[in-house]
Amino acid sequence: MSYELKDKETLNSELRTPNSLLKLSNLRRFVMFSVLIFFLLQFFRVKALVGGLSGSLARWFVKLIDVFAYFESLAASKDFTTTTLIAVVPIIGIYLIFGRAFCGWVCPMDFLFEIVDGFKNWSKVKVKASPKIGYGIAAGLLVVSGLLGIPFFTNYISHLTNFFRFITGGVFLALNLPFEPSVLVYSGGVIVFLLVFEYIFPRTWCRVLCPVGKTYGLFNKVSLLKLKYYPGECGECNLCDRLCYMNVKIARHIDQPGLRDINCIYCGRCAEGCETKGKLVKLSLK
Amino acid sequence: MQNHFTRRDFLKASLITGSAAVIGSPFYLLERNAYAAKEEFEGPLPNIEVGGIIRPPGALPEKEFRAKCISCGVCVNVCHTMKYDAIAVAGIKDIRNFGTPYIKDMRDFPCELCMECPKHCPTDALKNLKKEKVTMGMALIDFGLCFGWNGDVCLSCSKACPMGANIFDFYNGEWGNQPYINENCVGCGLCVKYCPLGGSAIKVITERQYEKVKTPYVDEFKRLLAMSNEERYNIVYGQNLPQIMAKGRLVEREYR
Ligand code: SF4
Ligand code: SF4
Ligand code: SF4
Ligand code: SF4
Repeated sequence: MSYELKDKETLNSELRTPNSLLKLSNLRRFVMFSVLIFFLLQFFRVKALVGGLSGSLARWFVKLIDVFAYFESLAASKDFTTTTLIAVVPIIGIYLIFGRAFCGWVCPMDFLFEIVDGFKNWSKVKVKASPKIGYGIAAGLLVVSGLLGIPFFTNYISHLTNFFRFITGGVFLALNLPFEPSVLVYSGGVIVFLLVFEYIFPRTWCRVLCPVGKTYGLFNKVSLLKLKYYPGECGECNLCDRLCYMNVKIARHIDQPGLRDINCIYCGRCAEGCETKGKLVKLSLK
Repeated sequence: MQNHFTRRDFLKASLITGSAAVIGSPFYLLERNAYAAKEEFEGPLPNIEVGGIIRPPGALPEKEFRAKCISCGVCVNVCHTMKYDAIAVAGIKDIRNFGTPYIKDMRDFPCELCMECPKHCPTDALKNLKKEKVTMGMALIDFGLCFGWNGDVCLSCSKACPMGANIFDFYNGEWGNQPYINENCVGCGLCVKYCPLGGSAIKVITERQYEKVKTPYVDEFKRLLAMSNEERYNIVYGQNLPQIMAKGRLVEREYR
């Protein structure tokens, strides 16, 4: 059966649902901003969440470290310490439950990318590169880290490190505290580069390249959170597929009980977009 | 157009947060920066290089440190939260150390050895240890600039030092109270900050650099102590005091 191709405006209006307060897209932005605001409180000397998304200290007590950063640090130092293991365990725990939800619900780049995506006619975007390439890149980065003896991605390239380094640099500059201007320029440059890259190759960073996302993608295979299909008649509008900017193929698996795709970030756009008002596709913890 | 509210709402929220931060920060600024006006003098011991970068306390040896540190910024912001602001992030000039923490400005923001940053580093690049065991660097007094070595009395650095009597030896005599910092120094830099001489008379260098400059430095120290009064007079009045006068005594810095 064929469906008519809708333009962006129509696609967007399809997203209108009556219970807008509990819409997933609102909820996940709320979560993202909450995390960000907790991080920003550190500049007002509040001991809530100190550091950045590569590594942090929660409530002046719990050390946390990003899973890929953990592996890079391990590869570079070739030295195992319990401190770092204890710091990665809570993060592994969280994403064993929520899978790659980090990308859709916590990562600030998702929000910035969404703004950039707004300038683009999404229905014309063609997807080529396979997401599997990312695992090769991630493995390569671990090897490079091991050879250089420096956590290469996390120190130099990481959007997370650079995002928070940029904010810290900006605050320290404004407050006349010790800081290096080149840090601000470099980290700001990386973020700007990623935004431009996003404009030219939409979501290629998230879908194909980002090793942080790839690592959390592996959790999707076992996480409690997953996409679940509910019985009902599919209108074959393909809205779910076309709203998904991670290029997950949702509609074609509709005859299965659920879907565990390494690229699904649980943003819930497919569920919200489903013509049958969120009945066929849902995010499910059960 | 309900769907447009989402983005606009959040943009609005971020605008409000942003402007609150912008409006709030001047008030926040008032709280600090007692020494906001930076000094323009050439620092002490211009012939001795720092020899690398001074790490926060508890740092592993350089190579291992670089391998572990993920540039997360926990130490930087822990120090900020403690109101010490000693740690800066290393710049791009030194590409290997880019993004890693170091103590940049000991004159105004030395490490106060609160030992919070090594306690909280998630990668163990900074290892928790007793503050007596810290080896951030080694402080050297410039004998040509120090008031205590040039006929005056000044105890500011020794009073500021958190290790106190363990570290400072005094050679009291006609030419002043002549402080000397021994090798127990942990390199925190508090003495640098509280030295009342304009631009400070103390410099902290890395342990590795100290090994290199140790012999000439100690020789100079011994030579001054063994010198005849006449020779010493010439050095103090001929060379040192003019420089010291030019740099001035900043009484507000003196540790009490
Ligand atoms: S807390 Fe540790 S890992 Fe993080 S920047 Fe500081 S030294 Fe590096
Ligand atoms: S010990 Fe305290 S004052 Fe020193 S660098 Fe660490 S946090 Fe800052
Ligand atoms: S001599 Fe100076 S640098 Fe050394 S421990 Fe004392 S205050 Fe710190
Ligand atoms: S504070 Fe400065 S001038 Fe005073 S004794 Fe120490 S080094 Fe000398």
